[in-house]
Amino acid sequence: MASVSATSFSFQPFLKLSTRTSQACYRTSVCVGWSRKSFTSLRSSRFRICAVQAQPETVQKVCDIVRKQLALPPESELTPDTKFSALGADSLDTVEIVMGLEEEFGITVEEDGSQNISTVQEAADLIEKLVQDKSAAS
Amino acid sequence: MKIHSVSTRYSWSFVCMTSLRDRAQLMTNTRCFGRNFVTASSSLPPVQLPAQREVHFWYVLPDEVKSTNLLNQYLEILSPCEKEEIFRIREEQLKKSALLARALVRTTLARYQTKCQIDPKSFKFKKNNYGKPEVDWQSADDWSLPPLHFNISHTSSLIACGVAVGSPIGIDVEEKQRRLKNDILAFAQRFFSPHEIETLTHIADPELRLQEFIKLWTLKEAYVKALGKGFSASPFKTFTVRLRDHMKGDIHALRHVIYKAPDITVEPSVDLKNPSSNWEFVLLELAGSHYAAVCIEQDSIDPGSKSGNGSMPINLTLRKTIPFVEDECISANDSAVVIGGLARLAVCD
Repeated sequence: MASVSATSFSFQPFLKLSTRTSQACYRTSVCVGWSRKSFTSLRSSRFRICAVQAQPETVQKVCDIVRKQLALPPESELTPDTKFSALGADSLDTVEIVMGLEEEFGITVEEDGSQNISTVQEAADLIEKLVQDKSAAS
Repeated sequence: MKIHSVSTRYSWSFVCMTSLRDRAQLMTNTRCFGRNFVTASSSLPPVQLPAQREVHFWYVLPDEVKSTNLLNQYLEILSPCEKEEIFRIREEQLKKSALLARALVRTTLARYQTKCQIDPKSFKFKKNNYGKPEVDWQSADDWSLPPLHFNISHTSSLIACGVAVGSPIGIDVEEKQRRLKNDILAFAQRFFSPHEIETLTHIADPELRLQEFIKLWTLKEAYVKALGKGFSASPFKTFTVRLRDHMKGDIHALRHVIYKAPDITVEPSVDLKNPSSNWEFVLLELAGSHYAAVCIEQDSIDPGSKSGNGSMPINLTLRKTIPFVEDECISANDSAVVIGGLARLAVCD
């Protein structure tokens, strides 16, 4: 959905449906014209994310930052595909997570970036891309 | 004033219906013809629609909802997609919170009946281009409701739903004592506008600075949610919220002061193509523990707004609810105070 690519951080305020299956549910329930446009955007943004796969160390660091921000108990399950919103992250938590990631990796995440960061994996993939872009530029 | 209502088991007879649409149709037609089916929605006392410049603010405290039976009733009114999302959440409190949020939206909207009772389960939702949930009115066949706008916000300890007619609405609630993991000024430097950073920098006391930060955060969140664009499409640096000192101790005088310049304003930092003078804010302190910000669009044909000196206050009706069980109208007292914006806590119908 167009909304997926546009709202990098703001999934929590809008109680966004988080899984692929759920997104499919939403696709069928909207009017035709709107969903056609948004379906294309979803495909392309997902492709962009998949084009840069993060290193396992990056994923691990992201997990650590998320755990710390959300004060997750050590035994709680956190996988790369776990949605932040399902962990109880609200909008302020999410922005704090982004800030933590920026400081850890020395990058800047633009708010209006087209990537959708709603899971650890997506955050890690974006970080990897931004770090690559940064070192390519310097 | 508390209104108690009791739901019965008759609603479960509809569980086996094949399609949601058929069920909604039957429910609507059933009640329109006056047949005496007792359903879940019959235990939601109907409420008058908000008028212009009126906001209805409903909230539920998760700690007050303990009954498993009740939680199951809430689960029953959700759509299959919503149920699926809730089942994916592992942690119990988070699951409950997500469930209460969906149930609050559906039951709240269902109260605004005109001709026929509305089954909370029959609402369909869609998202705007930026992901903001809205009611899909096109799928509402027999209803004759004017388009209601709603917005929800939740913290672990309070879940709220704001409703308005004729204006988009954004709300945000936050615990007053919420701690940031990052340093407040460092966070503000990164995300807030220069004026807001300056405001926060000038507050020496860390507790007061935190409180001011939370107030600004909720106001900014409410604004971008009212805009319908969310954080990523309206970066927080691109607009400034100014929160002037509210008239403390002059609550009674406010009743006589109708025309007054609003003490919460928002202005764009850079982008002059989107004038922000049409947005109005209310900032509340709830139960001494939460800040709640509400943002609606100012009525452009309101004669009061053309005076240049200010506008009529917003009437805000505050209700604490346990859907299907009880609703409590909260009036201005120690547990609910307007601390910013031109608004008054109205008496419920």
